[in-house]
Amino acid sequence: MDSEISNNGADVGKLSKDELKVYDRQIRLWGHDGQKKLSSWNVLLIGLQGLGAEIAKNLILCGVHSITLKDPSDVSILDRCSQFLIPPDSEQRNRAKASLTNAQKLNPNVKVTADTKPIDEEDEHFVTKFDIVIATECFPATYKKLNENCRKNQVKLFIADVFGLFGYFVQDITFEHNLYHEIFPNYDQRSNVSENCPLPYYLTSALLRFQCESNRKPNPDTCEEDVEELKSIISSFEQITDIEAYDEYFGELFCEMSPTTSIIGAMVAQAAMNTIMDKTVEDFNVFFYDHVEHRGQYFKL
Amino acid sequence: MAANIVGAFKPSMQNVVKTSKILLVGAGGIGCEVLKNLVLMGFGELEVIDLDTIEISNLNRQFLFSKDSVGKPKSHTAKESVLRFNPNVNINSHYGDIMDTKYGSAFFNKFKLVINALDNKRARSHVNRMCLSCDIPLIESGTMGYSGQVEFIKKDFSLCYECSPKPVPKDYPMCTIRNTPKEPIHCIIWAKFLFSQLFGENTEELVSMEETEDETEEKLSARDWAKANNYDGQKLFKKIFYDDIDYLLNMRDLYKSKSIKPRKLDYVYLNGVKSEYAHEEESKILTLPQYISMFIDSITSIKEKLDQSKKGYLNWDKDDDDFMNFVVASTNIRSVIFGIEIKSHFNIKSMAGNIIPAIPTANAIIGGQIVIHGLRVLEGKYPRCQTVYLRGMPNHKGEIIVKDKIVQKPSPTCTTCSTEGHIVLAVNTFTFTIRQFEDLVLRQRLNIVAPDVLIDGRMIISSDEDDELDLYSKTFSEANILHGSKISVDDFLQNYRVQMLVHHKMKVSDEQPEFELFNNSDDVDKEDDFEQEEYDDECHIDGEDHKFIYVKQEESSNEEMANESDEDNFSSVEEELEETELFVDAGAVNDASETCIKITNVCSITEDNTLSIIEEQSAEVPADSQDENNEDDAKDNFEIEDDAKDNFEIEDGAKDNFEIEDDAKGDFEIEDDAKGDFEIEDDGNETNLELKRKAEDNVDTTETKKSRSSTDE
Repeated sequence: MDSEISNNGADVGKLSKDELKVYDRQIRLWGHDGQKKLSSWNVLLIGLQGLGAEIAKNLILCGVHSITLKDPSDVSILDRCSQFLIPPDSEQRNRAKASLTNAQKLNPNVKVTADTKPIDEEDEHFVTKFDIVIATECFPATYKKLNENCRKNQVKLFIADVFGLFGYFVQDITFEHNLYHEIFPNYDQRSNVSENCPLPYYLTSALLRFQCESNRKPNPDTCEEDVEELKSIISSFEQITDIEAYDEYFGELFCEMSPTTSIIGAMVAQAAMNTIMDKTVEDFNVFFYDHVEHRGQYFKL
Repeated sequence: MAANIVGAFKPSMQNVVKTSKILLVGAGGIGCEVLKNLVLMGFGELEVIDLDTIEISNLNRQFLFSKDSVGKPKSHTAKESVLRFNPNVNINSHYGDIMDTKYGSAFFNKFKLVINALDNKRARSHVNRMCLSCDIPLIESGTMGYSGQVEFIKKDFSLCYECSPKPVPKDYPMCTIRNTPKEPIHCIIWAKFLFSQLFGENTEELVSMEETEDETEEKLSARDWAKANNYDGQKLFKKIFYDDIDYLLNMRDLYKSKSIKPRKLDYVYLNGVKSEYAHEEESKILTLPQYISMFIDSITSIKEKLDQSKKGYLNWDKDDDDFMNFVVASTNIRSVIFGIEIKSHFNIKSMAGNIIPAIPTANAIIGGQIVIHGLRVLEGKYPRCQTVYLRGMPNHKGEIIVKDKIVQKPSPTCTTCSTEGHIVLAVNTFTFTIRQFEDLVLRQRLNIVAPDVLIDGRMIISSDEDDELDLYSKTFSEANILHGSKISVDDFLQNYRVQMLVHHKMKVSDEQPEFELFNNSDDVDKEDDFEQEEYDDECHIDGEDHKFIYVKQEESSNEEMANESDEDNFSSVEEELEETELFVDAGAVNDASETCIKITNVCSITEDNTLSIIEEQSAEVPADSQDENNEDDAKDNFEIEDDAKDNFEIEDGAKDNFEIEDDAKGDFEIEDDAKGDFEIEDDGNETNLELKRKAEDNVDTTETKKSRSSTDE
């Protein structure tokens, strides 16, 4: 495994005086016990674009024990729209490695590691090394495999993506709800989407199908063609009658935009931390942030 | 940056983002998130202002700062930090107070949009007025714990920040603080007064008695006595916790009909004790000897700081460990004496510092929503900028980020944004002074910075010192301001005007505040049925014109009353929310603040044991004293003669929870809530907290509610 370790974390379960001072304002919310649990937590974070950076930031600031930043790709120009951990002029570097220094700076008490091996190449026990797995910016096929694997090993999983100003996440924390590909069955283009779902669900389904068909996310360079393609995917969904309702969304679906990476990144990080604070939202498994309606809503799908 | 990438925005927006000049007020928890987002979006012209420096407790969420930057100005540091990921943005950072007159209309007029990421009502009101005056769209925001909110304010289009009344903080009668504490918060306030009396600048609220020096027989104030004794910890311990208590007990009638009565500490501690406490966790309840040691040690450390202080006094600060130890030890020793529950260091700090819990995720969500609102504002889509709430937990529909259905219209009776609005000022015109009017009504309540006040064309207060008006010591009636007088108040800086109608009102009940403001004369009388609340069982006094001291506890950053946790944004909007109804106003929230205690009235107990008025005063402790009518005799309002008559009545009704273990070890047992779960008892401060929920809503806000009025960003 190609990894770098930049610092040693603190002892598990003990909070130094220094940590107590840094974490004071959050300990007043979730208590010393919550903080101690958090400081024993090992997180795997897959995908270090803007959304990954936000999730990493929140978890590192809050003081998890360790976080592994896993991303096989190099920095892209689009990362500049939302990836604040990567310094300018890092174009040729691996994203996780380029993020490492600034990620570590956020909190020296956390053990931060960069890992460049693709998750698809890890064996199925890899996830058991972690208390929680959070995946972003992968392809639906990768999410499917990861979800099945985490379910099998009973490792809590969050999957999140941001498209422009729109974003969603899926949580599998009770191991009871539908799997990722059961919620969004269009990854292989064969099955169709569910009925009677909210608008953001169909938008997400269309975006994921686009990703499967074009082997990429919608892109600012090709925004016009991509919008046409998305429209045609959406109109192919039998359940949808009011295609015009989607028009307002199309202009803002390209690359990860920081306001929404900020929102989804925080929602995911908090939902993940809530799983050890006895504050879990268990009845739902999908969350959408609708940037047109300013609505962040959980669903059970 | 997004704006440099063709296609990332709608074409019409790309240039707008690059060129629109934006002002960000506050570089704390929300401010850091907003600044990051603005820079990543490609906003090219930014100014950021903040008057605070970085503290270690900021670092869990104010991610543009690191340990190396503690003590540095937030605004400059935040700027340097974001330039590291985008060097191509034009940021102008100001280390200063947005309420400073140098940031007037000319400054505000530069901006297309102003974003508030503040932690206090005063600055929020001020920026609100500046933006209304300059007709600049404003985005207002706040977080508290898991919750938060984003609000859009535009002149003549939406509610302004002041369209809905903000709750006034809870009052505590001064006699409770001095003589009859019942709850931990009473002892905490007392401990902060004690700090102020011994080390602070403002020594008006005296809680420790005068002392006679042996040789001279001269009476010395507790401060002078402490100085004369070189701040000897043991002697101070004896004076404060034995002699002062004796003094109270000698006032026979003080506790005559009350269940509350101090019980003297065992004399084994008289000369102090040594008991290690440094290793103990902050959430643990310690033993009496440990608190006594802590008290004595803290005096020693604070004395050194006092000696080094150039000003010759110290301002209490919850983030100073010695100051905090002093308050914790004093509070708990007093609690033992009065049979009140002991609180951990952790809990006392929450209450003494009015700390609002704060986490990075809530700030990030609010910071993201602010920038989305900002985009809508710059697109001109005002109707799409409804108030957005971040809930602590999802409602039954699963919604956790919820908006109002529509942008709320301005309130026609708002005294700030409507010309129709006027205020009815209900006061006793025979006793209310011009100074009280300026300090309490204009500056503290109405957040006016530079008032000019006219009555029938006659100027009574001028913002121009050259005018040399000196009516401050006059009462309203002496200045010929009577029932029905119309007062016109103008703040040139804020371009804020308000008309006030004077309504003369005698006080019939003691817990009435010095003044009250109403929107309508008809409301004045309705209010006369006062809720008696607990003051009743506390200090019931017959007669008409008695007054009490009220102590208000609020957050403040800097010397102002600031850090109210903001509760304050809490607005009527919630009614529009279908099922949300909560809300916190998440205001602010910030921690870099000092708590200040305000006293709005002063009561005194005079020789014949009636409570009588000693010149009302307004004092901020330990803040800046704007208050020169420091009546000498107010210092003595502590005396009660022994042979007094009995028209000083205190109702019973409190339980006799008064028990102190006398065993030699001096351990005392108190229920251990040292789990460290966030818990603030009902110290009454809950009023500060505007959390309302329906039954369907969840636990977490209840927690926050308990945690109440503490404060972040």
